[in-house]
Amino acid sequence: MKLVLYSGGDARANRVLDDELMRMVEVKNPLMAYIPASSYLSEIEFQHFVDQYRRFRVKRFLHFPVDVPFDRTLFREVLKADIIHLGGGNTFHFLLWLRKTKMLEALRDYVHHGGILTGLSAGAIMMTPDITTAAMPSFDRDENHDNIKNLESLGLLEFDFFPHYKNSPRYDTEFRKLTRKNKRMLYACPDGAGIIIDGERKTFVGPTWLFQDGKKLALN
Amino acid sequence: MVGSVKKPQVTEDEARKSYPMFQKINGEHPFKTQVPDGRVEYKVRTKKGGKVVFFHFDLAKEMGLIPKDHPAVLNPELEKQILETFSLQIINEWDVENNIKFPEDEIRPNTYMATRYLQLQHPDKSGRTSGDGRTIWNGHIRHQGTTWDISSCGTGGTRLSPAVNIQKKYFQTGDPSVSYGCGCSETGEGLETLFFSEVFKKNRVKTERLLVTVEYDKGLAINVRAYQNLLRPSHFFSHLKQGNYKALKQVADCYTEREVINGNWPDVRSKSPTERYNYLLDQVSKTFAETAARFEDEYIFCWLDWDGDNILMDGGIIDYGSIRQFGLFHSEYRYDDVQRFSTTILEQKQKAKYIVQCFAQITDFLIKKKKRPLADFKNHPALKRFEETFEKTKYQNVLYKVGFKEKYAQELFKAHLNDVRVFRRVFTWFERAKSVRGTYKVADGITRDAVFCMRDILRELPQLYLTRGELLKPDEFIEIIRSSYAKKQDLQLTPMMLKQIKRFQVAYLNLVDLCAKDQKKERHQLLLDITMRSSVINKYDRVTGDSITYVVEKVSKCRPRLKAEEVFQIMSEFAHYQTLDPDLRAKTSEVDPGDNSPSRQKNILRDMAGIVRECREGL
Repeated sequence: MKLVLYSGGDARANRVLDDELMRMVEVKNPLMAYIPASSYLSEIEFQHFVDQYRRFRVKRFLHFPVDVPFDRTLFREVLKADIIHLGGGNTFHFLLWLRKTKMLEALRDYVHHGGILTGLSAGAIMMTPDITTAAMPSFDRDENHDNIKNLESLGLLEFDFFPHYKNSPRYDTEFRKLTRKNKRMLYACPDGAGIIIDGERKTFVGPTWLFQDGKKLALN
Repeated sequence: MVGSVKKPQVTEDEARKSYPMFQKINGEHPFKTQVPDGRVEYKVRTKKGGKVVFFHFDLAKEMGLIPKDHPAVLNPELEKQILETFSLQIINEWDVENNIKFPEDEIRPNTYMATRYLQLQHPDKSGRTSGDGRTIWNGHIRHQGTTWDISSCGTGGTRLSPAVNIQKKYFQTGDPSVSYGCGCSETGEGLETLFFSEVFKKNRVKTERLLVTVEYDKGLAINVRAYQNLLRPSHFFSHLKQGNYKALKQVADCYTEREVINGNWPDVRSKSPTERYNYLLDQVSKTFAETAARFEDEYIFCWLDWDGDNILMDGGIIDYGSIRQFGLFHSEYRYDDVQRFSTTILEQKQKAKYIVQCFAQITDFLIKKKKRPLADFKNHPALKRFEETFEKTKYQNVLYKVGFKEKYAQELFKAHLNDVRVFRRVFTWFERAKSVRGTYKVADGITRDAVFCMRDILRELPQLYLTRGELLKPDEFIEIIRSSYAKKQDLQLTPMMLKQIKRFQVAYLNLVDLCAKDQKKERHQLLLDITMRSSVINKYDRVTGDSITYVVEKVSKCRPRLKAEEVFQIMSEFAHYQTLDPDLRAKTSEVDPGDNSPSRQKNILRDMAGIVRECREGL
């Protein structure tokens, strides 16, 4: 399984993670598919995405919003991509449409067949068992406008992920409480940091904190 | 509603001192003195009970009405000044006939004009009785080298309204027995103009803009519009029809003066009348050819007709009552205006050409001081230039829609016209294909459905070529290009259809390859460039006339809870979301509808985006 979890930030902030990602790619002329969290202004995000990866000599890109109707032709091509990137945005909205369009199953399948899945912020949370952390912290959370009850996401990982982390007690209180309750590990990263999963290997890039059973541990 | 907190009382003097530029908007306008036969003057009085429900802070800054660093906040001084400047009602002929008395201190010292222009709905058909039926010109203002015209709709019924001339009597402003002739406007009309015009403006379509909406009881409103030059062809046509050389010359000179001082034209004022008026004709020919081509290619339905009423002299859109933008090329849609059907989108070109022919007649009249019949100008060189410009613009538009940069498109047009022509022909074949369903009635007219969504194929094709490096199979091509209007029968892979699918793809890739060769690039580099541009230009959700109607309904429902500032913010976000110009670098990273907006606005914006998506292929 090959996954890259980006916390957030721009191309410059994520340079190290990007370098690592490109090392994982085994083909010469990779195809990257960009799935935005929402189609709203996603064409602009797509431009930024292309700008970010054409520096690595990637030449082939697909833009594939899932909250607008799409055709099977493009859908098939997306699943043939070497890297699929899940964008950032409202995690609840993103999950709703990934589920509605049956993309959750398709993406699981894609990863288990060797495809590289990357995600930024909401896109990274999507790889974890559920999107509980999207509703955290209470003072700066994604709004669940669509009133989604089933928060189960791709479940490719056994831990939780929290992006855009700021090392402050306001966040920590909530994470300690959560990890005491759900017994799962939670990795929190600030922008520019992230986690790389390559088979059995887990690499932390940039500052990362682990929350487990109500305790906090700095990893990097 | 503004909450229960009492606003501080502001005196008129305080308001005037804070916003001195508003003082210049006082009914004075060069047209009033330069074209005496072109207007009717009215005394005006203060209209009470108004509330500012929208103010365009950005436009006001552009016009110099408020300082550049003014926050987008409607403070009491500003609101007071807006109301003092624009909350006006004319004292019309009915008021005078019925000897209605108004307090002296409510009557303004200056008169305000309603302009005369030709309108086809008037029985007179020569412009003697027609013009601004419920509008007055507030004046003009100059700021940083640009002069702006400002007019207000809903300021009372004038003698130039159709009702007065059809029923041969004057009406009291607000008389419920007449609708259009009652001289009133509504908040909804203003909002429709606002949302449509701001989206058009962002996409470089020339248009009037809404500066202010002042609302009164029962949803009545005064909607204030601004533009650099609010003269229409119909301002010329009324005097042409009447053979009034003097007034026609005055309008032409007044119009020319403004274009020159605004820097749109070189200074032609010192040239001979022949040169000056020929320049005017050249500009009209060019402008209307480009505008007609643009409307056709952007699927903008603007009811152009022989009176030249629904458009400004520079091709800008005015009066959004019947303006639409179609999602597909519904080229047989006709608006039902009770007494007649409108033109179709394809007939707009002929109407635009007719306007140019009229200007050829006008130019001749102005130069020779003798009016010749319009038919004498049916082969005028200006019409030939119109055709040439129209064709050239159509080619450039199709290349732009594909996603070629302007520079590349121009080079393709110059060096490979035949190849561009082949692509345009097959593009048009798909674009104009109509459903077997045939013509049928819709809420406000008749239509016949387009079958294919060209925006979808242009958005996806470069990505798929980039990915696969080969042509799509016919069934894949159809799956992408089909619209929701297409019936099974419309999509049959007949020999002709198969031929056209192949022709489309081959011609498309041929243009890409030619351009790549000219620009010394690889095919994949150009396809990636086109992919990114096309994803913006041919964005999945683009506004249509229907979507604007529903968006305005949505805003209207929420508006009692929204402050003027919030309406401004929602409008700005919406226009930004609908900016389909890849050359404008837009803000964003992790974007959610109105990410910086309060939750209430976010919800409205999200719903608006849903409406646009839902209506994206409609009328």
